[in-house]
Amino acid sequence: MSVYEFLEKNSIYLVLIIALIVWLSVFAYLVKVDAKLKKLENEFAKIENKEEIEK
Amino acid sequence: MLSSIWAIFLKDLKSELRTRYALNALLMFVVVTISMILFATAGEVISGELLSGLLWVVIFFSAMSGLSRTFVSEEDRGTVIFLQLATRPSAVYFGKLLFNLVLIFGINFFVVIAYFLTMEGFKIKSFDVFLAGLILGSLGLASASTIIAAIIAKANTKGTLYPVLSFPVLLPLLITAINMTQLSIEGAKLVETFGHLRILFSYFAVVVIASYLLFDYIWKE
Amino acid sequence: MIWKFLLGLYMAIITALAFVIPIGFIPGLGERARIIFLHVPSAWLSVIAFFVAMLYAIRYLKSKNIYEDVKSVASAEIGFLFCFVTTVTGSIWAKFNWGSFWNWDPRETSIFVLLLIYGAYFVLRSAIEVEERRATLSAVYSIIAFITVPFFIFIMPRIMPGLHPGSKGDPEGAGPVVTFKMDPNMRVLFFASLLGFILVYLWMFKLRSRVEILKIKIQNKIYQEV
Repeated sequence: MSVYEFLEKNSIYLVLIIALIVWLSVFAYLVKVDAKLKKLENEFAKIENKEEIEK
Repeated sequence: MLSSIWAIFLKDLKSELRTRYALNALLMFVVVTISMILFATAGEVISGELLSGLLWVVIFFSAMSGLSRTFVSEEDRGTVIFLQLATRPSAVYFGKLLFNLVLIFGINFFVVIAYFLTMEGFKIKSFDVFLAGLILGSLGLASASTIIAAIIAKANTKGTLYPVLSFPVLLPLLITAINMTQLSIEGAKLVETFGHLRILFSYFAVVVIASYLLFDYIWKE
Repeated sequence: MIWKFLLGLYMAIITALAFVIPIGFIPGLGERARIIFLHVPSAWLSVIAFFVAMLYAIRYLKSKNIYEDVKSVASAEIGFLFCFVTTVTGSIWAKFNWGSFWNWDPRETSIFVLLLIYGAYFVLRSAIEVEERRATLSAVYSIIAFITVPFFIFIMPRIMPGLHPGSKGDPEGAGPVVTFKMDPNMRVLFFASLLGFILVYLWMFKLRSRVEILKIKIQNKIYQEV
Protein backbone atom coordinates (compact mmCIF):
# COMPACT_ATOMS: atom_id res chain seq x y z
CA MET A 1 0.00 0.00 0.00
CA SER A 2 1.50 3.31 -0.99
CA VAL A 3 1.85 6.24 1.42
CA TYR A 4 -0.75 8.16 -0.52
CA GLU A 5 -3.38 5.47 -0.13
CA PHE A 6 -2.56 5.09 3.55
CA LEU A 7 -3.02 8.81 4.17
CA GLU A 8 -6.22 8.83 2.18
CA LYS A 9 -7.72 6.20 4.43
CA ASN A 10 -6.40 7.47 7.77
CA SER A 11 -6.74 11.23 7.43
CA ILE A 12 -5.76 11.73 11.11
CA TYR A 13 -2.20 11.02 10.06
CA LEU A 14 -2.47 13.72 7.44
CA VAL A 15 -3.42 16.23 10.14
CA LEU A 16 -0.59 14.87 12.23
CA ILE A 17 1.89 15.65 9.45
CA ILE A 18 0.48 19.15 9.09
CA ALA A 19 0.77 19.78 12.84
CA LEU A 20 4.36 18.54 12.76
CA ILE A 21 5.22 20.85 9.89
CA VAL A 22 3.72 23.79 11.76
CA TRP A 23 5.68 23.05 14.91
CA LEU A 24 8.94 22.44 13.05
CA SER A 25 8.68 25.69 11.12
CA VAL A 26 7.95 27.65 14.31
CA PHE A 27 10.89 25.87 15.86
CA ALA A 28 13.20 26.70 12.93
CA TYR A 29 12.12 30.32 13.14
CA LEU A 30 12.89 30.46 16.87
CA VAL A 31 16.33 28.93 16.31
CA LYS A 32 17.07 31.49 13.63
CA VAL A 33 16.00 34.44 15.77
CA ASP A 34 18.05 33.06 18.63
CA ALA A 35 21.18 32.83 16.46
CA LYS A 36 20.71 36.32 15.07
CA LEU A 37 20.21 37.79 18.49
CA LYS A 38 23.33 36.11 19.78
CA LYS A 39 25.29 37.61 16.90
CA LEU A 40 23.96 41.09 17.64
CA GLU A 41 24.75 40.79 21.32
CA ASN A 42 28.31 39.72 20.50
CA GLU A 43 28.76 42.65 18.14
CA PHE A 44 27.47 45.06 20.75
CA ALA A 45 29.79 43.60 23.37
CA LYS A 46 32.72 43.99 20.96
CA ILE A 47 31.96 47.67 20.41
CA GLU A 48 31.76 48.26 24.15
CA ASN A 49 35.05 46.48 24.76
CA LYS A 50 36.80 48.46 22.06
CA GLU A 51 35.66 51.73 23.59
CA GLU A 52 36.84 50.72 27.02
CA ILE A 53 40.27 49.87 25.65
CA GLU A 54 40.45 53.23 23.87
CA LYS A 55 39.75 55.00 27.09
CA MET B 1 -3.31 57.28 61.66
CA LEU B 2 -7.07 57.17 62.16
CA SER B 3 -7.24 60.91 62.66
CA SER B 4 -5.33 61.61 59.44
CA ILE B 5 -7.59 59.22 57.50
CA TRP B 6 -10.56 61.08 58.93
CA ALA B 7 -8.95 64.42 58.03
CA ILE B 8 -8.41 63.37 54.40
CA PHE B 9 -11.98 62.13 54.22
CA LEU B 10 -13.36 65.35 55.66
CA LYS B 11 -11.22 67.41 53.30
CA ASP B 12 -12.60 65.55 50.27
CA LEU B 13 -16.12 65.72 51.58
CA LYS B 14 -15.91 69.46 52.24
CA SER B 15 -14.43 70.27 48.86
CA GLU B 16 -17.09 68.11 47.26
CA LEU B 17 -19.93 69.73 49.16
CA ARG B 18 -18.58 73.17 48.31
CA THR B 19 -18.85 72.66 44.55
CA ARG B 20 -21.14 69.61 44.38
CA TYR B 21 -19.58 68.99 41.00
CA ALA B 22 -19.31 65.22 41.19
CA LEU B 23 -22.58 64.77 43.02
CA ASN B 24 -24.72 66.79 40.64
CA ALA B 25 -23.06 65.37 37.55
CA LEU B 26 -23.48 61.87 38.87
CA LEU B 27 -27.14 62.26 39.73
CA MET B 28 -27.80 63.61 36.25
CA PHE B 29 -25.78 60.74 34.81
CA VAL B 30 -27.99 58.23 36.60
CA VAL B 31 -31.16 59.95 35.43
CA VAL B 32 -29.87 60.04 31.85
CA THR B 33 -28.87 56.36 31.83
CA ILE B 34 -32.12 55.17 33.32
CA SER B 35 -34.20 57.20 30.90
CA MET B 36 -32.01 55.84 28.11
CA ILE B 37 -32.95 52.33 29.16
CA LEU B 38 -36.60 53.34 29.37
CA PHE B 39 -36.55 54.77 25.85
CA ALA B 40 -34.67 51.82 24.43
CA THR B 41 -37.18 49.37 25.87
CA ALA B 42 -40.27 51.54 25.43
CA GLY B 43 -43.44 49.55 25.84
CA GLU B 44 -41.66 46.22 26.19
CA VAL B 45 -42.03 44.01 29.20
CA ILE B 46 -38.54 43.33 30.48
CA SER B 47 -37.85 40.25 32.51
CA GLY B 48 -36.47 40.51 36.03
CA GLU B 49 -33.24 38.80 35.01
CA LEU B 50 -32.53 41.39 32.36
CA LEU B 51 -33.43 44.21 34.72
CA SER B 52 -31.02 43.02 37.39
CA GLY B 53 -28.24 42.96 34.79
CA LEU B 54 -29.16 46.47 33.65
CA LEU B 55 -29.16 47.70 37.25
CA TRP B 56 -25.51 46.75 37.57
CA VAL B 57 -24.73 48.31 34.19
CA VAL B 58 -26.08 51.61 35.53
CA ILE B 59 -24.17 51.20 38.80
CA PHE B 60 -20.93 50.28 37.03
CA PHE B 61 -20.96 53.18 34.62
CA SER B 62 -21.97 55.78 37.17
CA ALA B 63 -19.16 54.53 39.40
CA MET B 64 -16.78 54.79 36.46
CA SER B 65 -17.77 58.37 35.78
CA GLY B 66 -17.54 59.52 39.38
CA LEU B 67 -15.03 57.57 41.42
CA SER B 68 -11.88 58.59 39.59
CA ARG B 69 -12.39 62.22 40.59
CA THR B 70 -10.83 62.03 44.04
CA PHE B 71 -7.41 61.31 42.61
CA VAL B 72 -7.69 63.04 39.24
CA SER B 73 -8.72 66.33 40.87
CA GLU B 74 -5.69 66.25 43.18
CA GLU B 75 -3.55 65.77 40.12
CA ASP B 76 -5.33 68.55 38.19
CA ARG B 77 -5.12 71.07 41.00
CA GLY B 78 -1.52 70.15 41.68
CA THR B 79 -2.23 69.45 45.33
CA VAL B 80 -0.61 66.00 45.28
CA ILE B 81 2.67 67.34 46.56
CA PHE B 82 1.05 68.92 49.63
CA LEU B 83 -0.70 65.72 50.51
CA GLN B 84 2.56 63.83 50.08
CA LEU B 85 4.24 66.23 52.49
CA ALA B 86 1.38 66.31 54.96
CA THR B 87 0.70 62.65 55.62
CA ARG B 88 1.52 59.01 55.05
CA PRO B 89 0.46 57.29 51.79
CA SER B 90 -1.69 54.71 53.55
CA ALA B 91 -3.65 57.45 55.29
CA VAL B 92 -4.33 59.03 51.89
CA TYR B 93 -5.43 55.70 50.49
CA PHE B 94 -7.86 54.91 53.29
CA GLY B 95 -9.20 58.44 53.33
CA LYS B 96 -9.92 58.31 49.63
CA LEU B 97 -11.37 54.82 49.94
CA LEU B 98 -13.71 56.04 52.66
CA PHE B 99 -14.80 58.97 50.52
CA ASN B 100 -15.40 56.72 47.52
CA LEU B 101 -17.38 54.33 49.69
CA VAL B 102 -19.63 57.13 50.87
CA LEU B 103 -19.98 58.36 47.30
CA ILE B 104 -20.88 54.96 45.88
CA PHE B 105 -23.38 54.24 48.65
CA GLY B 106 -24.98 57.59 47.92
CA ILE B 107 -25.15 56.86 44.20
CA ASN B 108 -26.46 53.35 44.69
CA PHE B 109 -29.15 54.54 47.07
CA PHE B 110 -30.31 56.97 44.42
CA VAL B 111 -30.01 54.44 41.58
CA VAL B 112 -32.05 51.83 43.40
CA ILE B 113 -34.81 54.28 44.33
CA ALA B 114 -34.96 55.61 40.78
CA TYR B 115 -34.98 52.04 39.51
CA PHE B 116 -37.86 50.98 41.74
CA LEU B 117 -39.89 54.00 40.68
CA THR B 118 -39.37 53.57 36.94
CA MET B 119 -39.04 49.86 36.25
CA GLU B 120 -42.32 48.09 36.76
CA GLY B 121 -40.95 44.62 36.25
CA PHE B 122 -38.40 45.02 39.02
CA LYS B 123 -40.09 43.19 41.89
CA ILE B 124 -37.88 41.85 44.60
CA LYS B 125 -39.04 38.88 46.61
CA SER B 126 -36.26 38.64 49.20
CA PHE B 127 -34.99 42.00 50.29
CA ASP B 128 -32.25 40.68 52.56
CA VAL B 129 -30.49 38.97 49.64
CA PHE B 130 -30.84 42.08 47.50
CA LEU B 131 -29.47 44.40 50.18
CA ALA B 132 -26.59 42.09 51.09
CA GLY B 133 -25.59 41.83 47.43
CA LEU B 134 -25.87 45.55 46.93
CA ILE B 135 -23.86 46.50 50.02
CA LEU B 136 -21.07 43.98 49.55
CA GLY B 137 -21.02 44.69 45.81
CA SER B 138 -20.60 48.40 46.46
CA LEU B 139 -17.80 47.71 48.91
CA GLY B 140 -15.89 45.69 46.31
CA LEU B 141 -16.65 48.20 43.58
CA ALA B 142 -15.26 51.06 45.65
CA SER B 143 -12.16 49.11 46.69
CA ALA B 144 -11.04 48.16 43.17
CA SER B 145 -11.98 51.44 41.56
CA THR B 146 -10.09 53.49 44.16
CA ILE B 147 -6.73 51.87 43.45
CA ILE B 148 -7.30 52.00 39.70
CA ALA B 149 -8.24 55.67 39.97
CA ALA B 150 -4.88 56.21 41.67
CA ILE B 151 -3.16 54.49 38.73
CA ILE B 152 -4.95 56.33 35.95
CA ALA B 153 -4.53 59.72 37.63
CA LYS B 154 -0.87 59.44 36.63
CA ALA B 155 -1.57 58.39 33.03
CA ASN B 156 -2.15 60.60 30.00
CA THR B 157 -5.63 59.61 28.84
CA LYS B 158 -7.54 59.51 32.07
CA GLY B 159 -11.17 59.40 31.03
CA THR B 160 -11.23 56.51 28.59
CA LEU B 161 -8.66 54.45 30.40
CA TYR B 162 -10.64 54.18 33.61
CA PRO B 163 -13.45 51.84 32.57
CA VAL B 164 -11.06 49.89 30.34
CA LEU B 165 -8.77 49.11 33.24
CA SER B 166 -11.49 48.63 35.83
CA PHE B 167 -13.88 46.38 33.95
CA PRO B 168 -11.79 43.19 33.77
CA VAL B 169 -10.67 43.58 37.37
CA LEU B 170 -14.24 44.14 38.53
CA LEU B 171 -15.83 41.40 36.48
CA PRO B 172 -15.77 38.59 39.07
CA LEU B 173 -17.49 40.97 41.46
CA LEU B 174 -20.04 42.16 38.90
CA ILE B 175 -20.98 38.66 37.75
CA THR B 176 -21.52 37.53 41.33
CA ALA B 177 -23.47 40.67 42.22
CA ILE B 178 -25.72 40.35 39.16
CA ASN B 179 -26.30 36.74 40.05
CA MET B 180 -27.32 37.72 43.57
CA THR B 181 -29.78 40.33 42.34
CA GLN B 182 -31.32 37.72 40.06
CA LEU B 183 -31.59 35.32 42.99
CA SER B 184 -33.31 38.00 45.06
CA ILE B 185 -35.91 38.43 42.32
CA GLU B 186 -36.45 34.71 42.22
CA GLY B 187 -36.91 34.78 45.99
CA ALA B 188 -33.94 32.80 47.24
CA LYS B 189 -33.18 32.58 50.95
CA LEU B 190 -30.17 34.39 52.39
CA VAL B 191 -28.62 31.10 53.52
CA GLU B 192 -28.58 29.79 49.96
CA THR B 193 -26.46 32.69 48.74
CA PHE B 194 -23.74 32.14 51.30
CA GLY B 195 -21.20 31.17 48.63
CA HIS B 196 -21.86 34.38 46.74
CA LEU B 197 -21.51 36.47 49.88
CA ARG B 198 -18.20 34.84 50.64
CA ILE B 199 -16.88 35.62 47.15
CA LEU B 200 -17.99 39.26 47.39
CA PHE B 201 -16.48 39.71 50.82
CA SER B 202 -13.17 37.99 50.04
CA TYR B 203 -12.88 40.06 46.86
CA PHE B 204 -13.22 43.23 48.90
CA ALA B 205 -10.72 42.05 51.52
CA VAL B 206 -8.13 40.86 49.00
CA VAL B 207 -8.29 44.02 46.90
CA VAL B 208 -8.07 46.35 49.91
CA ILE B 209 -5.07 44.51 51.33
CA ALA B 210 -3.26 44.46 47.99
CA SER B 211 -4.04 48.13 47.41
CA TYR B 212 -2.76 49.04 50.85
CA LEU B 213 0.52 47.28 50.09
CA LEU B 214 0.88 48.74 46.60
CA PHE B 215 -0.37 52.26 47.14
CA ASP B 216 3.02 53.56 48.32
CA TYR B 217 4.58 52.83 44.95
CA ILE B 218 1.89 54.64 42.97
CA TRP B 219 1.72 57.57 45.31
CA LYS B 220 5.44 58.25 45.27
CA GLU B 221 5.59 58.01 41.47
CA MET C 1 22.63 24.74 21.56
CA ILE C 2 22.05 20.99 21.70
CA TRP C 3 19.16 21.27 24.17
CA LYS C 4 17.23 23.41 21.72
CA PHE C 5 17.27 20.66 19.14
CA LEU C 6 16.37 18.13 21.78
CA LEU C 7 13.42 20.34 22.69
CA GLY C 8 12.41 20.56 19.03
CA LEU C 9 12.50 16.79 18.75
CA TYR C 10 10.68 16.35 22.09
CA MET C 11 7.80 18.60 21.08
CA ALA C 12 7.60 16.91 17.68
CA ILE C 13 7.24 13.55 19.40
CA ILE C 14 4.60 14.96 21.75
CA THR C 15 2.67 16.38 18.82
CA ALA C 16 2.82 13.06 17.00
CA LEU C 17 1.78 11.08 20.08
CA ALA C 18 -1.10 13.48 20.76
CA PHE C 19 -2.73 12.20 17.60
CA VAL C 20 -2.03 8.51 17.78
CA ILE C 21 -1.81 7.50 21.44
CA PRO C 22 -4.72 5.29 22.52
CA ILE C 23 -6.78 7.23 25.07
CA GLY C 24 -9.58 4.85 25.88
CA PHE C 25 -13.25 5.71 25.65
CA ILE C 26 -14.43 8.91 27.34
CA PRO C 27 -18.20 9.38 27.40
CA GLY C 28 -19.39 12.55 25.69
CA LEU C 29 -16.00 13.49 24.32
CA GLY C 30 -14.58 10.51 22.44
CA GLU C 31 -11.69 11.33 20.17
CA ARG C 32 -12.26 15.02 20.78
CA ALA C 33 -10.68 14.55 24.21
CA ARG C 34 -7.32 14.66 22.47
CA ILE C 35 -7.53 18.45 22.65
CA ILE C 36 -6.30 18.08 26.22
CA PHE C 37 -2.75 17.55 24.98
CA LEU C 38 -2.50 20.94 23.29
CA HIS C 39 -5.30 23.21 24.50
CA VAL C 40 -5.05 22.63 28.24
CA PRO C 41 -1.24 23.03 28.48
CA SER C 42 -1.45 26.31 26.62
CA ALA C 43 -4.19 27.50 29.01
CA TRP C 44 -2.09 26.56 32.04
CA LEU C 45 0.92 28.11 30.42
CA SER C 46 -0.78 31.44 29.91
CA VAL C 47 -1.65 31.55 33.61
CA ILE C 48 1.92 30.54 34.50
CA ALA C 49 3.26 33.27 32.24
CA PHE C 50 0.99 35.87 33.84
CA PHE C 51 2.12 34.65 37.24
CA VAL C 52 5.76 35.08 36.20
CA ALA C 53 4.88 38.56 34.92
CA MET C 54 3.47 39.37 38.33
CA LEU C 55 6.58 38.05 40.09
CA TYR C 56 8.80 40.26 37.96
CA ALA C 57 6.44 43.17 38.61
CA ILE C 58 6.92 42.67 42.34
CA ARG C 59 10.67 42.45 41.86
CA TYR C 60 10.57 45.65 39.85
CA LEU C 61 8.73 47.51 42.59
CA LYS C 62 11.32 46.32 45.10
CA SER C 63 14.47 46.99 43.09
CA LYS C 64 13.38 49.65 40.55
CA ASN C 65 15.62 47.88 38.05
CA ILE C 66 14.26 48.48 34.55
CA TYR C 67 15.35 45.03 33.36
CA GLU C 68 12.82 43.46 35.72
CA ASP C 69 10.10 45.49 34.07
CA VAL C 70 11.29 44.35 30.65
CA LYS C 71 11.05 40.73 31.76
CA SER C 72 7.62 41.31 33.22
CA VAL C 73 6.32 42.65 29.90
CA ALA C 74 8.00 39.85 27.97
CA SER C 75 6.24 37.25 30.08
CA ALA C 76 2.91 39.05 29.86
CA GLU C 77 3.18 39.20 26.07
CA ILE C 78 3.84 35.50 25.73
CA GLY C 79 1.07 34.77 28.19
CA PHE C 80 -1.26 36.87 26.06
CA LEU C 81 -0.23 34.95 22.95
CA PHE C 82 -0.93 31.58 24.57
CA CYS C 83 -4.15 32.91 26.02
CA PHE C 84 -5.24 33.85 22.53
CA VAL C 85 -4.28 30.43 21.19
CA THR C 86 -6.27 28.80 23.99
CA THR C 87 -9.33 30.91 23.23
CA VAL C 88 -9.26 30.16 19.51
CA THR C 89 -8.62 26.43 19.83
CA GLY C 90 -11.19 26.10 22.58
CA SER C 91 -13.75 27.97 20.55
CA ILE C 92 -13.26 25.76 17.50
CA TRP C 93 -13.51 22.69 19.69
CA ALA C 94 -16.68 24.02 21.33
CA LYS C 95 -18.34 24.33 17.94
CA PHE C 96 -18.06 20.60 17.45
CA ASN C 97 -18.67 19.53 21.02
CA TRP C 98 -21.36 21.92 22.21
CA GLY C 99 -22.67 23.19 18.89
CA SER C 100 -21.64 26.84 19.00
CA PHE C 101 -18.40 28.76 18.98
CA TRP C 102 -19.15 30.71 22.15
CA ASN C 103 -21.50 29.84 25.02
CA TRP C 104 -20.36 32.08 27.89
CA ASP C 105 -19.53 29.03 29.87
CA PRO C 106 -17.72 30.13 33.08
CA ARG C 107 -14.48 28.77 31.73
CA GLU C 108 -14.91 30.69 28.49
CA THR C 109 -15.76 33.82 30.43
CA SER C 110 -12.61 33.48 32.49
CA ILE C 111 -10.30 33.11 29.49
CA PHE C 112 -12.04 36.05 27.84
CA VAL C 113 -11.45 38.16 30.93
CA LEU C 114 -7.78 37.20 30.95
CA LEU C 115 -7.58 38.57 27.42
CA LEU C 116 -9.36 41.74 28.55
CA ILE C 117 -7.10 42.21 31.58
CA TYR C 118 -3.89 41.95 29.65
CA GLY C 119 -5.31 43.93 26.75
CA ALA C 120 -5.97 46.69 29.28
CA TYR C 121 -2.46 46.21 30.66
CA PHE C 122 -0.92 46.90 27.25
CA VAL C 123 -3.23 49.88 26.73
CA LEU C 124 -2.09 51.28 30.09
CA ARG C 125 1.53 50.86 29.08
CA SER C 126 0.97 52.70 25.83
CA ALA C 127 -0.75 55.57 27.66
CA ILE C 128 2.25 56.53 29.79
CA GLU C 129 5.34 58.02 28.24
CA VAL C 130 7.80 58.33 31.10
CA GLU C 131 9.63 55.02 31.33
CA GLU C 132 9.87 54.59 35.11
CA ARG C 133 6.34 55.76 35.69
CA ARG C 134 5.07 53.36 33.05
CA ALA C 135 6.98 50.51 34.66
CA THR C 136 5.71 51.26 38.16
CA LEU C 137 2.07 51.80 37.26
CA SER C 138 1.83 48.80 34.99
CA ALA C 139 3.55 46.67 37.62
CA VAL C 140 0.93 47.69 40.16
CA TYR C 141 -1.85 47.04 37.69
CA SER C 142 -0.55 43.62 36.80
CA ILE C 143 -0.42 42.66 40.47
CA ILE C 144 -3.95 43.94 41.15
CA ALA C 145 -5.19 42.22 38.02
CA PHE C 146 -3.52 38.94 38.79
CA ILE C 147 -4.93 38.66 42.29
CA THR C 148 -8.43 38.70 40.81
CA VAL C 149 -7.54 35.87 38.41
CA PRO C 150 -8.06 33.10 41.01
CA PHE C 151 -11.66 34.26 41.35
CA PHE C 152 -12.15 33.30 37.72
CA ILE C 153 -10.08 30.20 37.42
CA PHE C 154 -10.78 28.49 40.70
CA ILE C 155 -13.93 29.92 42.23
CA MET C 156 -16.37 30.92 39.50
CA PRO C 157 -16.34 27.64 37.54
CA ARG C 158 -17.14 25.89 40.81
CA ILE C 159 -20.21 27.87 41.80
CA MET C 160 -21.67 28.35 38.34
CA PRO C 161 -22.86 25.42 36.31
CA GLY C 162 -21.15 25.08 32.95
CA LEU C 163 -20.48 22.86 30.00
CA HIS C 164 -16.72 22.69 30.20
CA PRO C 165 -15.26 19.43 31.46
CA GLY C 166 -14.44 20.02 35.10
CA SER C 167 -17.19 22.52 35.99
CA LYS C 168 -19.85 22.31 38.67
CA GLY C 169 -22.28 19.63 37.71
CA ASP C 170 -19.64 17.51 36.03
CA PRO C 171 -20.04 14.22 37.87
CA GLU C 172 -16.32 13.57 37.71
CA GLY C 173 -15.57 16.56 39.92
CA ALA C 174 -14.70 20.20 39.46
CA GLY C 175 -11.29 21.76 39.27
CA PRO C 176 -8.67 23.29 37.07
CA VAL C 177 -7.27 19.82 36.57
CA VAL C 178 -9.81 17.82 34.64
CA THR C 179 -9.89 14.77 36.85
CA PHE C 180 -12.16 12.59 34.79
CA LYS C 181 -10.89 9.07 34.72
CA MET C 182 -7.88 9.70 32.56
CA ASP C 183 -6.25 6.81 30.89
CA PRO C 184 -2.77 6.38 32.46
CA ASN C 185 -0.88 7.07 29.24
CA MET C 186 -3.16 10.02 28.60
CA ARG C 187 -2.18 11.49 31.94
CA VAL C 188 1.52 10.93 31.30
CA LEU C 189 1.35 12.49 27.87
CA PHE C 190 -0.58 15.46 29.23
CA PHE C 191 2.08 16.29 31.79
CA ALA C 192 4.86 15.60 29.28
CA SER C 193 3.19 18.04 26.92
CA LEU C 194 2.86 20.61 29.71
CA LEU C 195 6.59 20.27 30.38
CA GLY C 196 7.35 20.78 26.68
CA PHE C 197 5.15 23.86 26.59
CA ILE C 198 6.89 25.28 29.64
CA LEU C 199 10.31 24.76 28.06
CA VAL C 200 9.19 26.44 24.85
CA TYR C 201 7.81 29.29 26.94
CA LEU C 202 11.11 29.67 28.80
CA TRP C 203 12.97 29.84 25.54
CA MET C 204 10.62 32.43 24.03
CA PHE C 205 10.72 34.41 27.25
CA LYS C 206 14.52 34.44 27.22
CA LEU C 207 14.58 35.54 23.57
CA ARG C 208 12.02 38.28 24.10
CA SER C 209 13.74 39.73 27.16
CA ARG C 210 17.18 39.57 25.55
CA VAL C 211 15.90 41.61 22.60
CA GLU C 212 14.51 44.27 24.92
CA ILE C 213 17.62 44.37 27.08
CA LEU C 214 19.81 44.80 24.01
CA LYS C 215 17.51 47.57 22.85
CA ILE C 216 17.86 49.41 26.17
CA LYS C 217 21.64 49.02 26.09
CA ILE C 218 21.84 50.44 22.55
CA GLN C 219 19.56 53.33 23.51
CA ASN C 220 21.77 54.14 26.48
CA LYS C 221 24.79 54.02 24.19
CA ILE C 222 23.24 56.44 21.72
CA TYR C 223 22.21 58.68 24.59
CA GLN C 224 25.77 58.72 25.93
CA GLU C 225 27.26 59.62 22.58
CA VAL C 226 24.84 62.49 22.06
